[in-house]
Formats: sequence, structure tokens, C-alpha cells
Amino acid sequence: MVEDLFQATIVISVLAATIRIATPILLTALGETVAQRSGVYNMGLEGTMLMGAFAAFIGTYQTGSQGAGVLAGAAMGALMSTIFAFMVITLRIEQIVTGLALNLLGAGLSTFWLRTAFAEQSVTPTIAFMGAAPIPYLEGIPWLGPILFRQGLLTYLAFLAVPLVWFFLFRTRFGLELRCIGENPKALDTKGLSVQGRRYAAVIFGGAMAGLGGAFLTVGSSARFVPDMTAGRGWLALVIVIAGVWRPGYVLTAALFFSFLDALQLQIQGIGINLPHQILLALPYIVAILSLALMRQNAKAPAMLGTPYIRDR
Amino acid sequence: MTPDVMSAAALVDRRRGWRIERRADPSAVGWLVALLLAALGAFILSGLLLATAGASPLDAFSNLAKGGFGSGRALANTAVKATPLIFTGLATALAFRARLWNIGAEGQVFAGAIAAYACTHALDAAPALLQMPLILVAAMIGGALFGGLAGVLKTHFKVDEVISTVMLNYIIAFGLSMLLLKGPWSEAGGFFEQTAKVAVNAELPILIDKTRLHLGFVIALVTAGLMQVVLAHTPFGYEVRAAGSNLRALAFQGTNTTRLVLLVMATSGALAALAGVSEVYGVHHRLHAAAIVGYGYTGIVIAILGRLQPLGVVAAAILFGGLVNGSTLMQIKTGVPSTLIYAIQAIILICYLVAWAAASFRIRRPGRTTPSGEIGRAGHG
Amino acid sequence: MTDATPLLSVQSLTKSFGSLVAVDGVSFDILPGEVHCLLGENGAGKSTLSSCLYGLYRPDAGVIRMDGEPIELRSPADALAAGIGMVHQHFVLVPTFTVLENIMVGTSRGWRLGGGEARTQVAKICSRHGIALDLDRLIGDLAVGEQQWVEIVKALYLDVRLLILDEPTAALTPDESARLFRMIRTMAASGLAVVLISHKMKEVLQSDRVTVLRKGGLIGTVRTDETSGPDLTAMMIGRHVGSHAAVAESKPGDVTLSLDAVTLDDRDGRRLLDRISFDLHGGEILGIAGVAGNGQNALFEVIAGIRRAFAGDIRLAGQSICHLSAKNIADRGLGHVPNDRLRDGLVGEFSIAENLILGHQWDAQYRHGPLLDRAGIDVRAEQAIADYAIQAPGPATTVRTLSGGNAQKVILAREFAKARRCLLCHQPTRGLDVGVIEYVHNELRRLRREGVAILLASEELDELFTLADRIAVIFDGKILGIFPRSVADIQTIGQLMAGHRDA
Repeated sequence: MVEDLFQATIVISVLAATIRIATPILLTALGETVAQRSGVYNMGLEGTMLMGAFAAFIGTYQTGSQGAGVLAGAAMGALMSTIFAFMVITLRIEQIVTGLALNLLGAGLSTFWLRTAFAEQSVTPTIAFMGAAPIPYLEGIPWLGPILFRQGLLTYLAFLAVPLVWFFLFRTRFGLELRCIGENPKALDTKGLSVQGRRYAAVIFGGAMAGLGGAFLTVGSSARFVPDMTAGRGWLALVIVIAGVWRPGYVLTAALFFSFLDALQLQIQGIGINLPHQILLALPYIVAILSLALMRQNAKAPAMLGTPYIRDR
Repeated sequence: MTPDVMSAAALVDRRRGWRIERRADPSAVGWLVALLLAALGAFILSGLLLATAGASPLDAFSNLAKGGFGSGRALANTAVKATPLIFTGLATALAFRARLWNIGAEGQVFAGAIAAYACTHALDAAPALLQMPLILVAAMIGGALFGGLAGVLKTHFKVDEVISTVMLNYIIAFGLSMLLLKGPWSEAGGFFEQTAKVAVNAELPILIDKTRLHLGFVIALVTAGLMQVVLAHTPFGYEVRAAGSNLRALAFQGTNTTRLVLLVMATSGALAALAGVSEVYGVHHRLHAAAIVGYGYTGIVIAILGRLQPLGVVAAAILFGGLVNGSTLMQIKTGVPSTLIYAIQAIILICYLVAWAAASFRIRRPGRTTPSGEIGRAGHG
Repeated sequence: MTDATPLLSVQSLTKSFGSLVAVDGVSFDILPGEVHCLLGENGAGKSTLSSCLYGLYRPDAGVIRMDGEPIELRSPADALAAGIGMVHQHFVLVPTFTVLENIMVGTSRGWRLGGGEARTQVAKICSRHGIALDLDRLIGDLAVGEQQWVEIVKALYLDVRLLILDEPTAALTPDESARLFRMIRTMAASGLAVVLISHKMKEVLQSDRVTVLRKGGLIGTVRTDETSGPDLTAMMIGRHVGSHAAVAESKPGDVTLSLDAVTLDDRDGRRLLDRISFDLHGGEILGIAGVAGNGQNALFEVIAGIRRAFAGDIRLAGQSICHLSAKNIADRGLGHVPNDRLRDGLVGEFSIAENLILGHQWDAQYRHGPLLDRAGIDVRAEQAIADYAIQAPGPATTVRTLSGGNAQKVILAREFAKARRCLLCHQPTRGLDVGVIEYVHNELRRLRREGVAILLASEELDELFTLADRIAVIFDGKILGIFPRSVADIQTIGQLMAGHRDA
């Protein structure tokens, strides 16, 4: 049975699944990279993604438009992170506690609204989700075509976002300023520029990206919204940001690594290898802990990560 | 602890002349006002939430209150619901007091329940007087090991405890499922993912007839009282509080802070584990995920609302126990899904955090000096 | 020069924090091309005043005029727009950025990072002032002195007409300080007004005019060539101080602390301490001179047992303490006054009483069985408050609310009690008022008379020359020389502090 894994069609399907599965965590992790580069640790990604997924589902259900659903997901993510930003940047509430509160809020609201919105129906309704959008010509390339170029639009967007976020962070003045306030906000404040405003922008961008990540889970790839359907992806995105040492390229690598594990376990289950499926499901979390333990370096984290800026210091 | 530790600083308002300053310590009155504001805010927001569901907020709330606190029996059952929350709240409060962000009470509850069940599974029909202490000790060891694991990951491998505890929560949930679903502990001939019932001797005794109030509630109250004394009056409590304010200074004076971190994480895990005992042996009398899921995360809310004080945790746990207990009546009477309370819990937490932070700001007019808690600034001039 | 319109004029400026009036109705003015010194003790209001001029604080009352026009400084942006720049005492740099990135961040207009123009501009400023800077090196890799030049170039790049320098020589060697003052002169000659904040008389006397502040109030502005050091000191502290009492020759006893080739690396493998050896006798003060960041922290922490030496041996009263815990070492009679008192020495949220037993919470003398002996701890704290004249309502006062001097006294009370054999003192008087400094010095002399061996590191050479029996110079983790005070001279020490061995 093991040799089945190495057949060409199976390799292609595992790799294509890797790319697809990477989409939501990559979108979310890229957004969080920007937020953390500005010095804000948003631990509320799980709740933000969940609300994004829910809003995208409801948006599509109500309007019948997948595009509107995706936008609703991103907008909901931005809204959630605006609450977060107000609490941690303006009110300077502990970031970890606020992030947890956001997770609870996302889980509570999405479950409650799902129950009340469809109280009459016995089964939760479904939406038509976005299919693959093959790219003409490129999809025909052997191996690469089916792996890379028969994906959904949100997947293309996620991978396109990698160089864009990199360019923004390292080649524009806004990126330089953002990295500056993550390392030493006073260096920007003493030049008369707003630290708080930039942090708000970074956090809200991060939230919108997490909302998009959530949207992929519903309108991007599934007909239903299921309570707690993010199932730890928000937390994995945080792990990926750390494992990716706050650089988009490495973040991409880490995201692909974790989604490969996931794709592989799906395939292994599919061909019926006799392993308790719980072990396979727990694998990404075990690997997450192991990879952080092996890295052992937090030196590359933005120096002011998690610290509110107070001018007097 | 949460927002108030941040130092006072002037936050200059855009409006001319007026300014908003942040004070170091909100007064006791400020705290009460914050609590009232938080309650009001949570009431209004939850009411709006109910309105979005097309339900009458007043109807829902009154049933919620009646179901939670409306009768002696309701109160007894509220105490039952509060019991695991007291344990997880205390566990979280202890770790947070030392500025260790243990989000793992959830998994530590699982670890405790698994360890305790392993013990009774082996014991079978031993007398209650022998079983009870063994169960408690086994659970606490299980929770301590699982909490300590996150501690070791932090002290020896530099893995942030927030991430590791959350990952461990997921891992152990899958672990339990492995034991239960066609696993070694699954009920013989059973269809569900659960164990067989535990021996009657292993059940925590019911305290009041015709209620479900069991011994666990008393153990929870005693534990809270003990923790209050330990925090305020013992060298270990001293170290926990010192670590919460300045771990570095403690290390400079020769205290072994690695050992302290491990000890706090293990103790926190042991406390959380007791929630697993109270649910498995006090309420459900069998081990399955639904019996123990969620208490760890709610415990974080409880700890924060209780200002990380043991007695505050008890009060907050009873409030939330009432919400959980009342939600059943609310669902029956008004048709509002009982899942509402999870949203309400999050709303209460957010309102509390915001009100608490807002209470530490105050508006000051120029020219009028008011006493402030930051004489320390004199050194900067 | 006196006839010119003032570039900047300040009238009755007042700023208070809570009940503390930090600046109280201060007026003065600054002429174009002038080097103007703000002189005052710690807490006199210099930093608050300059923060008001840079828009970091908004004054409660008073008028600031630039070229005779009233201006409102609500943020550094307003100050920069008015042509006011500032170099802060504690560097405001990003260690992971290059020199050029630090200079240009927050200044470019377009959205692309245009390095080219900025590079030419910065190079021009550097060559005009004779500063050699590699623009592509990371700040974290620069020596402290070089970082100071980056700060100055950073301010000049913003094209200012008035530059505030807050204690600019705090981290410089004597040579570098001299170079800085030559630079200040060229800047002034080109029309730039320089406001210099200092309390070092030698520097103050190199300015054109001096404005003296005391306890937030204005004492007066004088022309430097019409006054003298002692007069300025009298204005600053409100009384004349006599020259330091002659230091009684001490009679050193046996070797108390002995270091033999102590070596330490940090986690990245960089050498922090390189084969450090010296003997310290009972009843002796050994001064450690050096620019901050040359291994002083590591040296003190290794001796106190907070870090483990990588090689070498440390002996206290003849016994090796290399492998003992910090607690064990302290119990053998070693006290340690750390460099950064709030970060390393005190638990801010704890009371005075609780801080006094920090590290000793398990000692039997502070316990009744498993519980802490609160009453006993409070009694001891009251004693310490009386003995060390700590100004606080009582033992339950939270340490965070104490002034710097009183917080330091809490540490002294705790560590002096431990220091039966040896005391490590790292910058024990930094940021303290003159009165408290005198008090600390007298306490150190008392301990020396009692036969305690004292290791004293200070960035103030004056302090070492006043107190120490011998002075060792530390540079880059090495001891470059140890001199008895009678033969030590400030030039030699200064050269060694800069790493010039052949001086």
C-alpha cells in the first residue's frame, strides 16, 4: 500500500491539495506578519477567521454572489481586528487577553447566529462555492499545471500576496516605517509620525487577510458553515509566522510544510493505511511544537512585539 | 493585573487644554464603576444580539436569571456548573499572576480526567474512602505533568507557552478520542465515543438530596481559600507575585526562576485537572469529551473577571455557572438557543476589559493638579 | 551676538505631572549660532523642558516663540517643522536597521524607498562635519560612540536650525567627547543654535551661555566667560560645596575576592569577558572605569552567580564560588547593587518590606513555619526606612511610587546587609541628586572602614577618582590595566577606555 503513495497521480493530487490547503493559513499568516512587524501580537486570529468564514457564508447565501461573500469575509475580519486594535492600541489592554477574548467572541457569535439564522430549517442550507479557475495554457504544463494552475481564485491571491507583502515590507517607505515601529516606535515618533495610526493600519490589514482566509474555508471550498470549522488554523497561522521568522518567503515555506502534512494525512486516510486517524489529525500540532522547540530562537522577533507604545519612555 | 499594570502616562487629547491621563491604579470606586459599566454594556450588547435573533431580550434575560438563580434548586445546580469553572479559573489565575500565559487549562482538564480514569479503571471496586483520594491525586499528577510539559517547553526549549498550551489542547483532545473511539476504554458494545460508567464507589457523593450538588463544589471552595492563603502568605506565593511583576529581579536575587516557572505551570495544571474530576466523577460518571470540553477556555474569562484573585474567581464562576444553568430554561421557554451564553460570555469579558481600561483613564482640566500615583517620574526631570 | 533677535524664546513655561511641578515658569532665549547650556541636577527639569521644546510634552502654560512668532508644539512634527531637532540621551535607533535606514526612516516622501538621494545627502553632512560612517552597517554592530554620531547626523539630516543635545557625552570616552565639542563649534559657526543639556562642569564651560535650573525653577542665565565652575555649581545646587574631603588612605586587608582568567561568551558566541583577573582586598574599593557596554554587566553578573563563567575561577574568601547559585553566593556575604535598579533590583509592584526580603523569602528568619512572618518583615522594614532615611509613608509603600533616590536606598539597605565580605556596586549613584550621591559615597566609605571589599563600576570618572583605592579599566571585555589612584591620571585612563593600549 505504501508504494501507492508514489504513483504520479497520487503525488500530483497530494501536491495540489497542499497548495489548496495552504491558502487560508497563508493568507492569515501573511496578514499577521504585517501586524507583528508593527509590534502588535494579534492572537485573535482563530476568532477572526471564524467570523470571516461565517460572514462569507452568509454574504454568499444572501446575495448569491461569491464575490460579495468574499468581500463580506474580508470586511468582517477588518471589523474584528478594529475592535482588537482599539482595545490594545488605544486602551492598551493586554494583547494576549484581548486576543483570547476575540476568539471567544468569534466562536460565540458565529455559532449563535448560525442557529438563529436558520432556526426554521432542519438542515443548514448550502451555498455554491467557488470552483477551480484553471489558468489557460499554464494548466496544460505537465505536473506543474495540475498542481499550481488549476486552483481557485483565492489561492492565486494568497500566493500572489507573498511577493506583494515582501515588496511592501522591504521595498517601500511604509514598510520601513512599519518595521521601525515594531523595533523602536520612538524612532518614528521623534520624527513626528504617528505610531498608533500605523499600528491600526497594520492590524486592520492583518484582520482583513484573516477574514479572507476564513472566506476560503466557506465560499472558497465548502458549501456549509460548521461551528468551529477553523479547527485551530488561526493558531497554526501564528506558529507559521514565528517559524517563518517574520519574512514572507519563509512564511510561505512554513505554510506549505504544514499543509503538506495535512494533505498527506488526507491521502493516507484515503488509501486506508491502518493508523489511528487521530494521530494523523494531531500531527500538525505536534510538529508545530517540535519545530518551535527546534528553532529555539526568538531573537528575530520584532523587539517591541506585544508592547504598547507609551511616549514617556 | 490585566490593564492596570501598565504604567501611567499622559495621553494628550486633541481637544485644546483638556487631556486624558492614565493613572497607575484605578481606585476601588473606579473598579466598581467599571464593573457596573461592564455589566450595563454587556446587558445592552447581549440585548441587541438577542434582537438580531428576533427574540425579546427581557423575556430571555428573565428566564436566564430564573433558571440560574431563581430557586434553591436552581442555585444548587448553578453551584454544580460553577465547580469546574472555579478550578479552571483558579488554575488560570495562578499562572497569570506569575505572568505565565497558560491557555492550556482546557488540555490539563483532559489530562486530569484521563489520569483519574486510568486509576479507577485499574482499581475497579475499591472502597470509596480509598478511591476518592487516589482519584484526586492521580488527576492532579496528570494535570501537573501536562502543565509541566508546557513549562519544560518554555524553560528548556524557549517555546512560547501560549502557542504550546494551545497546541497541547488540540493534541490531547485527539488523544482522548483515540482512547475512546474503538479504543481500549470504549464502552463494551457501546456506540458512542465514551467509557462505561464508573463504579458507584468512585462517584463524588451528592450533598443535598434531589439536587446534583456534589462534594466537588466544597473541594473547589476549600481550594480557593487555600490558594488565597498561599498567594498572600507563603514564600511560594511571594515568588508567584514577584514573577508577575519582575521575574528578572527575582532571578538576580538568586531565586531559581526556571524551577519556579515549572512549579507554577505544574500547579496550574493540577488545579485545572480537578475540573476533570468534578465533571467525570461528580456529574457525568463516565469519561467522554462532551463532559469536560470548554471549561478551560471559560476559566480564562473567569480568572480575568475575578481579577486573578481566588475569591473573585469563585464569584465570577458562580455568575457564569448561573448563566450556563439558566440557558436551558431560556431555550425551553423562549426558543433562544442556549449557545447564546457563549457569545454573552465573550461580550462580558470584552466589556469588562474596556470598562476596566477606561476607568484607569481620567479627564483632567489644565491648571488643576490632582494627586497621581507616579512620583517615580520625578527621576526623569 | 547679544543684539540679534532670539531664534527661540521661552516665556514662563510650566509643566506639571500630577502634583509634581517639573518646570515652573521658566523663561530664557536662544540666539542663532549660539551654544547654550541648560544646567541642573537630576530632577531640576532640564529633560522635561527640552521635551516641551521638542513637542513630546505639551506645556501647561507659557509661550514658545521661534523668530519672534509664537508657535504651538503639539508633537515632534510641529517641532521639526519649526526647525527644532533633538538628540535624546538614550539613543532612539533601530539596532536591526542600517545606518542609512535609521537616518532616512520617516523622512522620505514617495512610496518607494529611494536610497540614492538620501545617501548623497547624508554623505554630504558627514563630510562637512568630518564624521566617518559606513552607511550600510547595522546599528547593532556599531560601538556606542559611533551610534552617537548616527544620532547627530540623523538630526542634522532633518535640516534643523536649533539642535537640542540631551547629555550627549554620557556614553562617550573623553577623546570622543572632545571631538563632539569640536563638532558642536563647527555647527554653531555655520549658524546652527545648539542647546546642550549637561551637568558636567567641564562641558558646561565650553558653551557661550548657561541657563541654570533648580527644582523646576529658573535660577538665571549667565555668560560663560563671566562666570566660573564653582559659581555655576553654587547656582545649580543652591550652596557652595567644598572640595572633596581628602580620602583617607585605607589599609587593605587580605584578599577577599579573587578572579582568575574569568571568561564568558554570550549565546551567539561573542566574547563578553576575556580572561579577567584581579584581586580585591578587604577594606579596599576597586573602581572599574569604562564606557558602558564593555562587559561591566557581564562581570558583575558572573561574580554574583547570575551567569556562569565559561572558564576561569572566582574565589570569595578563599573558596571557589564558580559553581554556586546566586543565592548561595549572597549567603556567603556578597551584596550586589545592580546597574538598572528598576529592571534588575526591585519588584515594582511590591512594597518596601517585600523588596527588602527579595531572594530570602525562604529564609527561616522570615518565616513562621510555612507562612511568611509578615509582622517580623515589617519591623525590619521600619528599621531600614529609619536607618537609610527612606522617604516613604511606611513599609507597605509600593516601590514603584518611590523616587529614584529612595528606590536606590531600598536596594542599598538590602544589599549592604548582605555584604558582610564583599559588595558589588554598579553605577550606584546614576540619576541621583547631589545630596543622595554624597550619602551613598559616605556609606561606601563606611563599609570600606568596616573591612568590606568593594567593586565599584561607574561611568563618572570623578566618582572613581573620589572613592577608589585602585582603578581598573575595562574595554571590550578585557581589563587593560589597574592603577593605584595615586599614580592614575585621567588622560591615561581615558585613552585606555577608548581601547588605546599603547597610551
